[in-house]
Amino acid sequence: MQRWLLRGAALAIPALLLTLATAGQPATMPEIKIGTVLPLTGAFGASGNYFKQGYTMAIDDVNKAGGLAVGGQKYQVSLTVLDDGSDGTRSRSLVEKLVTDQHVNFLLGGYDTSLVEAQEVVPDQYKIPYVEGGGAASEIFKRGYKYVFGTLATVYDMGKITMDFIAYEISQGKLPKPVSLAVVWENTDHGKDYINAVLDQAKAHPDLFKVVLNQSFQLNGSDFSPLLQQVKASNATVFLSDAHLPDFITMHRQYLQAGMHHELVSYGARGPDQKGRQALGPGADYLIAALWWTPALKDPASQLFTDRYTKEYHAVPDWFQALSYDTARVLLQAIRNAGTLQGPAVRDALARGVFRNALVPGGVIRFGPNGQIAGSPYVMVQNMPGNTVRIVWPRKLPETRDAILPMPRMQ
Amino acid sequence: MLTAPNLISVGIAALLTAGLYAVMSYGLAIIYGVMKVINLSHAGFLMLGAFMTLVYFQRWHLDPLLGALLNLPVFFAAGWVLYAVLVRRVMTSLPIASLLLLFALWLVLQNVALAIWGSEDQSIITAYTYKALPVLGFRIPLTRLLVFGVALATLGVLHFVLGHTYVGKALRATVQDPQAGVLVGIDTERISAVAFGLGTAFAAFAGSLLTLLFSFTPDFGGPFQLKSFTIIVLGGLENFAGVTVGAAILSFVESYAVLFMKASLQNVIAYALLVVALIVMPGGVAQLWTRSRS
Repeated sequence: MQRWLLRGAALAIPALLLTLATAGQPATMPEIKIGTVLPLTGAFGASGNYFKQGYTMAIDDVNKAGGLAVGGQKYQVSLTVLDDGSDGTRSRSLVEKLVTDQHVNFLLGGYDTSLVEAQEVVPDQYKIPYVEGGGAASEIFKRGYKYVFGTLATVYDMGKITMDFIAYEISQGKLPKPVSLAVVWENTDHGKDYINAVLDQAKAHPDLFKVVLNQSFQLNGSDFSPLLQQVKASNATVFLSDAHLPDFITMHRQYLQAGMHHELVSYGARGPDQKGRQALGPGADYLIAALWWTPALKDPASQLFTDRYTKEYHAVPDWFQALSYDTARVLLQAIRNAGTLQGPAVRDALARGVFRNALVPGGVIRFGPNGQIAGSPYVMVQNMPGNTVRIVWPRKLPETRDAILPMPRMQ
Repeated sequence: MLTAPNLISVGIAALLTAGLYAVMSYGLAIIYGVMKVINLSHAGFLMLGAFMTLVYFQRWHLDPLLGALLNLPVFFAAGWVLYAVLVRRVMTSLPIASLLLLFALWLVLQNVALAIWGSEDQSIITAYTYKALPVLGFRIPLTRLLVFGVALATLGVLHFVLGHTYVGKALRATVQDPQAGVLVGIDTERISAVAFGLGTAFAAFAGSLLTLLFSFTPDFGGPFQLKSFTIIVLGGLENFAGVTVGAAILSFVESYAVLFMKASLQNVIAYALLVVALIVMPGGVAQLWTRSRS
């Protein structure tokens, strides 16, 4: 009997002490684990780090407001970020590791198209919603995955809106009719979307466009001078290139070094990126770009985000940070709307949700049946001297101004 | 676009690129020639040379060309120390040991650079970065012309050092027959240290010159290392003059091939040339010279 009493006391005393020690403290808030695999190093390191900043800002917003309310319960949100070194194989296995080892509840996507394509096989296997803002190739959404959602409008639409803009400038007499185009594109699904859009538009409007060079190049190339030689030899009026940030910097640097000049030059979504402008200096002035977001947008949400980011990181944000911020907010909103942490329920909330007050042009994100953002929220901008940009398309925006075309030759 | 001006223009660009390719391959050739070691950390020193040039440029406004010269003694000393501390210990082991060691060294250098400078693209813009010179109706980028001139000067200095100094003669003797070198009193240990120091210095020197043409990150150098390896195989591995010829072959084939095939296959050319050279003429162009003489 005495032995039983002693045993009981041995168990009860520590439990009592533990209870006394924790009495008066607030109960620990349950946690929602969100995981993401980003290219923090390697070729896409700069962009990957921008995505990390955007995701972190969105999650900090929720935590600072006391947590995320889901089904009447407040949750602290944590973000686990792993680095894939810009390697697709590693990226896919790390996403799987986030699910199986770290037991994350939800996933945010990586950057760029090739890495998102590597990652997107995992979410459906484990029925974990995955929202990405770093891959825009339409191929990502042709594979029938149900748990993959993307906030970037397609690269095909980017090519199309670029051609719409050129057609407008032809109508204004700023470019000749028909205009000759030299088009080079990275040999990825991203680049294929772009060239398909350009060729479709050229076929639909032979009176406006004449493609005189159509060449692909390798992603993360080291030397584009032989390719640029062909661009030069084509005697085109307009030079279009679909390139990622590192290739854009290398290619445009070599373009300028070769003393080349066209009446309009566009590198798809590249040009206004702060890294690009630092790397190229005045050489990046007057480039035209199609963007998913720009700090030149004057709507209150964009201005608020720009001010906050500038204050926090002492730099001007690019679309990378804005879209990653939007992407994380969409996921958090969907979890809140679902009222549960169950993957299928949150997936459904994403599929049918309308997410307002977003930063993308138009301010609304909703997804199509394939998981990609509905509509094509793009703006075209032109780099101006002094590290500023002006919106030049669509014409309906109040902040839109005339583009300076033909582009002035660099002095 | 097979017009005469285009073909000439491509030829000029190829010639200028050949100079760049040659200067970035000398270091690899020197180390392989003397030590029979494939320096897989070559890319790491190319990259580090580029970043050090950035440091000189940002701190002291030192032009990249002067930065390249400053890198020569700095990286010669670094190479010597690395040889004494690390490489010497695996010289008598199986070749895989030195391969693994130098590959690991490349990874370490990459990560050190990542920790110091981050993963973002860096670049150096000088007053002449975007200048081009009109020559006979063709516009030639000044930076490429400068790199080509420096490559020619480097080849001249290297030729003089190898032919007219004791160290150069000892290096050549060790390349030709290390055992005979020992018999005539050459300190092969010391010569190996000199070779590794020179190889490292040339890699960093080339890295500095590359900053005139490219932006760079800690991952910079990998594709150039592959091209350098192709060049020294084409040149004959142990033949310094062959390096220049190998660089010209690769550059001209790459440049003219774009006229007939997709530019996205440009890197495949280097791989294909490497395979062809290893199968058809493992001794490179040097082997062809020897055959034609005999």
